[in-house]
Amino acid sequence: MPAKRLSLGLAAIAITGIAAAGTPATALPSSIKIGMVETLTGDNSAYGISIRKGVELAAQEINASSLLGGSRISLVVADDKADKQEGISVFGKLIDDEKVAAIVGPTLSGTAFAADPIAQKAGVPVLGTSTTAVGITAMGDYIFRDSLPQAAVIPGTLAAVVAKYKPRKAALLFQADQEYSKSEAEVFKASLAKLGIQLVGAESYGRGDSDFRTQLRKLWSRKPDILVLCSLVGEAIPALQQAREIGIAVPIVGGNGFNSPNILLNAPEASEGLIVGSSWFIDSDVPESRAFVEAFRKRYGGDPDQFASQGYSGLYILANAIKRAGSADRGAIRDALAGIRDLGTTLGPFSFDANRDPICRSVPLTVKGGKYVLFR
Amino acid sequence: MDFGILADPVFFVQNVVDGLSRGALYSVFAMGFTLIFGVLDILNLAHAATFMWGAFAGWLVMAKASMPLPVGLAAAMLAGAAIALALELIAFRPLRRAGARAGADKLSPMISSIGASLVMVSVAEAVFGVETKRFPDRVLDPKPFLIGGIGGVRISRAQILILAASVILVAVLGFFIRRTRIGKAIRAVAASPRASLLLGIDVNSIIAITFLVGGALAGAAGILVALLTNDIAPGMGGQIELRGLAVVILGGMGNIEGAVLGGFLLGLVETFTIAYLPGGSDVKDAIAFLVIFLILLAKPDGILGKGKAERG
Repeated sequence: MPAKRLSLGLAAIAITGIAAAGTPATALPSSIKIGMVETLTGDNSAYGISIRKGVELAAQEINASSLLGGSRISLVVADDKADKQEGISVFGKLIDDEKVAAIVGPTLSGTAFAADPIAQKAGVPVLGTSTTAVGITAMGDYIFRDSLPQAAVIPGTLAAVVAKYKPRKAALLFQADQEYSKSEAEVFKASLAKLGIQLVGAESYGRGDSDFRTQLRKLWSRKPDILVLCSLVGEAIPALQQAREIGIAVPIVGGNGFNSPNILLNAPEASEGLIVGSSWFIDSDVPESRAFVEAFRKRYGGDPDQFASQGYSGLYILANAIKRAGSADRGAIRDALAGIRDLGTTLGPFSFDANRDPICRSVPLTVKGGKYVLFR
Repeated sequence: MDFGILADPVFFVQNVVDGLSRGALYSVFAMGFTLIFGVLDILNLAHAATFMWGAFAGWLVMAKASMPLPVGLAAAMLAGAAIALALELIAFRPLRRAGARAGADKLSPMISSIGASLVMVSVAEAVFGVETKRFPDRVLDPKPFLIGGIGGVRISRAQILILAASVILVAVLGFFIRRTRIGKAIRAVAASPRASLLLGIDVNSIIAITFLVGGALAGAAGILVALLTNDIAPGMGGQIELRGLAVVILGGMGNIEGAVLGGFLLGLVETFTIAYLPGGSDVKDAIAFLVIFLILLAKPDGILGKGKAERG
């Protein structure tokens, strides 16, 4: 009974999230414009396309519900093409021309570093649903994210890896000209050091590279016990395949970029056994998550991933903040967002900390039979 | 320097293998590039887009229609040849005709090829979408051959294919250019289109044939790169274009053997920079282009560059 489950999930969100708000929803305009800036084309569009599906599903549900009273969310979607200049330009358009109340996105940390300051300056709340680099929310008090920062995920993931494999030496591959990957590599390095694991090699590649064999062989010659990959999906697939091709037989730990089923689909053999940390997985027993998975399958005919889940929850978080603010005023929404505590979401009970970063759980996952399952 | 791996002979041989297979890709790409340049004296900047279409043609045939590899290679070469011929007829020949009336301008065909390249990439984006396409695992068994047992040198099937294909293509192209009537006519046109015309050579047909051959080489390079990296996207030509141009200049503009040598040299320099320099992967492009610069300082016409009169 999909419909029943769905309404249960919505009810849970409504009860835990906004029961205390009490502001009459009649103060809201009939339509509230929310901008959505995602990477919808190019090599790394797998993330943006997934987020868009999650956000659009949430918008449909919110508009069909009474969460915002008679008010409807109207999404204005823009593609940043994974390009900083494009990101800056569409942020400007959404803020000045479309007069959006808030922006969801952008997909990649690099674009966020370029574009978010524009929203901060204009006083428009931004909610990132996939940006994980260090320093995203430090850009200003209007910048939020529901995607766990690297520092909140990686130590836990590595601790789980240590418990099972007891590695002593690690090697790392990352993209030198990509903010997300560089930042993640630094967090991995720090976490490895803290766990007493020696980093025997760190190699990099550049934008557009797709042959990593030499870097991987160099790393493999140092005999690491685990290999850490910090790549976006476009490079993650060949990196995984080439690592296995050249005979790297140790466990591979991926960064947040590896949370895309696109990778499992394209590298079915090479991705088996891959370990990643995530805020969410498909078999999560959080009630909101179960309702979300069911609704997602019904609408799109396929399984959601972490990015769809974070996008979906992102819009619910924003909608709840708008409800609490009782207004579509940008500043009022910002204040209400900052006050979100223990909201029921697909990611479990969700809060923002004082730095506008998410407080929610992180789980180590591994790939088994082409699916992300709990890593034990 | 990393002395631990410096002393490892297996690692060294492995890097030679990797460098050569990387270089073979640059060579095949640069051969067609330099051939068209040698004959027409213009840069065909749509060569990289032709390369990309070759990759997609091979991918369609192998991944979608489940045809075997030789069919994929043939499809890529045919697609490349057909596209290059269309380029000549649509983007170059009309300009040549107009140029002959108005006094030749070497830059206008290059601009025309840039335009053609943009159109070709946009059409590919519209037809195939912008997301990267991959081969299913069954297309090319990723299990490598081991030389010297476990821990020995590894050569993947894709690498063997690329090395073999590049050697065969160099040999066939060399024979074609030097020994056949058409090849000789191509060299004559390269030396002097006007004199060739006076000798009764159908210059336009010879140029069309040159584009067919150059396009087939671009298509072959496309499918080979696709097989080695398992990464097919409308923007894939951008990465190889600049390197291909560098290889063409390094080898001596218009010199086919030079392009092949230059390709292998660039592949080896890149691979060895990554393998043996600390942080080498960060500086591989800088080092590779520094080496090219130094060689050009010593030999401004390129490794095998001769004066223009002898080219071809």
